[in-house]
Amino acid sequence: MQTTRRFSDWIPILIFLLPGLVLFVLFFLGPMLYSLRISFYDWKIVHPDQSIFLGFSNYQKALSDPIFQRATLNTAAYTAITVIVKMILGLAVALLLNQSLPGRTFFRVAYYLPVITSWVIVSLLFEYMFNGQAGLVNYVLNDIFHFTSKDVLWFADPILTLVPIILLDIWKGVGWTAIIYLAGLQSIPAELYEAARVDGANPLDQLRYITWPLLRSSTVFLTVVLVIGGLNAYISFQLMTKGGNPLDLTHSILTLMYEATFSRLDFGYGAAISYLLTIFVFFISLIELRLLKQQAM
Amino acid sequence: MKTNRFTLAFVSLLATCAILLAACAPATPAPTQAPVATEPPAATEAPTTAPTEAPEPVTIQYWHTHSDAEAAQLDEVIAAFEEANPGIQVEFTRYAYNDFKTALLTAISGGDVPDAVRMDIVWVPEFANEGALMQMDGNLPEFESITSDTFPGPLATNFWNGHYYGLPLDTNTQVLLWNIDIFEAAGVSAPPATMEEFAAVACTINRSPAETRYGYAQGGTYFWAPAPIFYAMGGKVTDEEITTATGYVNGPESVAAFTMLKDLYDQSCMSPNLLGGGIATDAGHAEGTYAMIIDGPWMVDIYKGNYPDFEVNFAPIPTGPDGTTSSVVGGEDVVIMDGSQNKDAAMKWAAYLLGADAQKMMAAVGQMPTLVSLIGDASLPPYFAVFQEQLKTAQARVPHPKWSDMDNAISNAYQRMLRGEQTPQEALDQAATEIDALIAGS
Repeated sequence: MQTTRRFSDWIPILIFLLPGLVLFVLFFLGPMLYSLRISFYDWKIVHPDQSIFLGFSNYQKALSDPIFQRATLNTAAYTAITVIVKMILGLAVALLLNQSLPGRTFFRVAYYLPVITSWVIVSLLFEYMFNGQAGLVNYVLNDIFHFTSKDVLWFADPILTLVPIILLDIWKGVGWTAIIYLAGLQSIPAELYEAARVDGANPLDQLRYITWPLLRSSTVFLTVVLVIGGLNAYISFQLMTKGGNPLDLTHSILTLMYEATFSRLDFGYGAAISYLLTIFVFFISLIELRLLKQQAM
Repeated sequence: MKTNRFTLAFVSLLATCAILLAACAPATPAPTQAPVATEPPAATEAPTTAPTEAPEPVTIQYWHTHSDAEAAQLDEVIAAFEEANPGIQVEFTRYAYNDFKTALLTAISGGDVPDAVRMDIVWVPEFANEGALMQMDGNLPEFESITSDTFPGPLATNFWNGHYYGLPLDTNTQVLLWNIDIFEAAGVSAPPATMEEFAAVACTINRSPAETRYGYAQGGTYFWAPAPIFYAMGGKVTDEEITTATGYVNGPESVAAFTMLKDLYDQSCMSPNLLGGGIATDAGHAEGTYAMIIDGPWMVDIYKGNYPDFEVNFAPIPTGPDGTTSSVVGGEDVVIMDGSQNKDAAMKWAAYLLGADAQKMMAAVGQMPTLVSLIGDASLPPYFAVFQEQLKTAQARVPHPKWSDMDNAISNAYQRMLRGEQTPQEALDQAATEIDALIAGS
């Protein structure tokens, strides 16, 4: 057997790869490297040749900016809460939908429906529901259950603003998490449960010793994908906080990036923020994969 | 097998070339009609004599954010312009306001810019500072004759660093809107004329026992919202030359204006919606939740569509302590992009838009003209009168590329004082420091 290929063997392979590579370089790698370059400059959009090289000062400015720190904190809190809740609820829904219940198909569709709704439309709907003076949520809390004595101005408070944003993501995301878990559940052989029942394992034991370990690959996949999605939160934040209202305390990292780039025309700073986010995402994904691998051993 | 692989590789190479070529090719409009075979193509009839002065047909690209009704009227203006200027065609592209800046920046960075643009007056210094706009004075032949007839406030919004980078296309300002039903129910017969009356009326009308009601409401804390009251009470953001904000944005008049607003808020005479997430001012005013709001001429059309039975009543902004009224100048300017290949044709279009005919045509759909000579013109809608009167005293926001940041500094100061974190003086002192830093940094 020949173990090393000759160069001429590589030519057809390279040619096959070329269309994909060209698109990748043209539309992904090229812009990425270009924006990496922008992040080191005070970038002039009309006359890039007049841009001033700043070194790492855009990155330093971001890391020492209290607005960026707050945006990072908001994004981290949002990601942690939504990912954990979506996984727990998603697993619960998947376990229910995996039973042979009447109307199972209906419920599968019903739980998945929010996933395919438009982010913009449901963000606006949640904004209406949480309206501080005429919203449905205040009506229920205040006039029906009397939990509160006066109307809550959800979007006027930097912490309470996150409540509708987080609830929206959970409502919209549980269906997808459930579908991934459901696929995982259906790949677990039924014999394992039969054997466990014979050995006297109750449903809780079955969940703990059979279902959960065998869903590990689904869990790893979901954790990585959901965390990346959470860190990239943009639409709901942008629409519901109107870009950081109040007092720039409710930005996500991406809304801050958008504002720096497109409303203040500070392209270098915006590019630096997106690279910082990229670095966060990269390291967090690395840590997740490491931890989940360890857990398996 | 070998040839098969080679063929595939060849096809793959072709595909790559196709992708690259497609990306580089200029966009060609698809032919709308197949050529009719029986007719000889026009090109075969070669002209026997070369045309002596062939006017190269020029198409200029005009970008704007007009509404439906305005865009329909713009079609008429374009038709009239094209008739008067054979050889020049105007193609327009319409954007949503919120996407417009991004679209312009994308075009600029891609090097493929529109020729003329109608943009928000506060963007002009920003884009001029980036070098994206053509200087009007010294280039536009009609510059002197046009600007001698425009309102000074709107014209000033085009000025940056010693030159003008646009022409005031349409203008607007904000006046007081008062809900006559609420006023009558509360036993108030006329809109307030002074700020003292304004505060008193706002608190007379607030929270009638049966329902939640406020005397006054503001759309948010962004500067545009409190600006009419701020300017009417003598407030200033910076000095004329834009060298400092200290003593201006935190001066006694500015502090008095924000103190009055904070007092109205604390006494529940002003709705808390301005902090975020409440009932919108336009709906609240028509539905009787807000007795007074301050807004622009477009409210006529908005109410016509959403609340056809609602009677809109305008009044001038109440006068401040020195007895004068004021407000804030809004509107759009027409600019010519520095990267335009058709500057001459674009200048003709810009000059045409500033002519009395085009201005009157657009006035029919609510665009207020910027020409002094059109004051009192019989063809203008009657509700323009109060706005044109208000425009005589209305002030432009600081024409500076860092205005967005200055706006944010004042907005945050306003938020902090409403939340009780700082007194109006402390909050505005901080804003002054922040704005001074912005001026120094540019």
